[in-house]
Amino acid sequence: MKCKNFQDNLLLYLYDELPGEERAAFEAHRAECAHCRQALEETRSLHQLLGQRPAVEPSPELLVEARQQLEEALDREEFGWRGLLRGWFQGVPALHASRAASVLTILVLGFGLGWTLRPRVNLPASNGGFMGADLGNITSISQVTPDPQTGEVRITLDTGRRVTLEGSLDDPRIRQVLQFAVRNYDNPGIRRDTLDALLVRGATPEVRRTLVYAMLNDPNDGVRYRALDAVRELGWSPEVRDAFLELLKKETNLGVRIGAVDFLVANADQAVLPALRELATQDASFYVRMQCIKAVRDLSGEEF
Amino acid sequence: MDGICLELAGKVPVGSARLAGVDERALIRRAQGGDRAAFDDLVRLYDRNVLRIALQIVRSPDEAQDLYQEAFLKVYRSLSRFRFEARFSTWLYRVVTNVCLDHLRRRNTRKEIQAPMQAEGEPEYFQSIADESPTVNPEQTLRAQEIGQRIGRALARLNPRERVVFEMRHYQGLKLRAIGDLLGTSEETAKNCLFRATQKLRVELSELV
Repeated sequence: MKCKNFQDNLLLYLYDELPGEERAAFEAHRAECAHCRQALEETRSLHQLLGQRPAVEPSPELLVEARQQLEEALDREEFGWRGLLRGWFQGVPALHASRAASVLTILVLGFGLGWTLRPRVNLPASNGGFMGADLGNITSISQVTPDPQTGEVRITLDTGRRVTLEGSLDDPRIRQVLQFAVRNYDNPGIRRDTLDALLVRGATPEVRRTLVYAMLNDPNDGVRYRALDAVRELGWSPEVRDAFLELLKKETNLGVRIGAVDFLVANADQAVLPALRELATQDASFYVRMQCIKAVRDLSGEEF
Repeated sequence: MDGICLELAGKVPVGSARLAGVDERALIRRAQGGDRAAFDDLVRLYDRNVLRIALQIVRSPDEAQDLYQEAFLKVYRSLSRFRFEARFSTWLYRVVTNVCLDHLRRRNTRKEIQAPMQAEGEPEYFQSIADESPTVNPEQTLRAQEIGQRIGRALARLNPRERVVFEMRHYQGLKLRAIGDLLGTSEETAKNCLFRATQKLRVELSELV
């Protein structure tokens, strides 16, 4: 063994990690090399010095205290959210086997929970017939597209998944969705498109009631005006006449009022004469008053 | 590494699981199934060793206690992934070693490298084995304390890996191969760390040698 090898093996020798053959060679070199012998003694002295540092042993008090604190920490783990998740996974062996699957499951659960707790549209119980329980699950309607050529309507909506309905107003499901949208959906653009869709084919009594409802009750002026147009297209009838008379009692939007008066005057008969007289004298709008005066004069010859 | 390396090193007693005839594998299985009592039993089997390792490395009762807790919490959280490919003790000691190593790195980052001093009135958490010598007198005790502090400061100047390797080899008597396994590195790397540590200590403590 050379001095270089001896120096390299000094520590291994002192720590008794030198294999048998190398140890013998090491000791042989030590016996014949004073310089290396001195180096070994210096390193041994350092070892002895370092050995003076007292070894430490945890006292029983420290161990007890450590155990108590660990118990508390484990309680927090077990009963905190980590523990709940862990317990859940331990109860599901298939998930337990795969960390990736577990993470994926958490994501799916979180998404599902968020979806479940999302704000929903309040639906009337009477609309519950659509595709089983699906109508009750409508959370949004993104598109209502009538096709005047074919008379069909395309509706895109979400019921936990995106659904596209396509069909004519003969399909009760289509009618139910459209009537639901007119009465309940909060987007006035969709309500207006829905009114158009309801008109692509001759209105049933049910659809007529929905149109009248929108004309009288929709909170949006534009939608009410579009509904008024739609009702006008239904033609004159006692039902339509009564709807217009009711509208004029409560309508505050001048454009809608004028539209209603024009239609009423154009179809005026003895049944509407009392209402026209009242409007002719009391309505705030000069145009409405003039139209009603003319209609009353034409119907009864009365002068104001 | 076979976990028995630690135990055969002499500084870490043989696990009481085998002495008491406890089926460690069954305990682990139960703990993996969420049985807290089984996990507590596992803790009791090894926690004195864990605390000793931490205390030996950081020499601070408070820090050792924190490391003890951190190590067992890590084991608790990841026990379900233990696949019996190594001895449980090996796995556990590897966790505590790495926790200690990370702690030393953080402590170095915070420049808190001074050797911990025991405050007056603080509970006597250390049981200093050297002080039990029947020949001690006050001067010798004081001298030993000074030397101990000098050595502590010199050790604190080693980098974390050198420090852990040196503590485990010199004070805990682990073989370099076992140290390499605990640190997830080779025996050769552990040996080089030990050489560098010794060289630095030689320089730091040259006045005392």
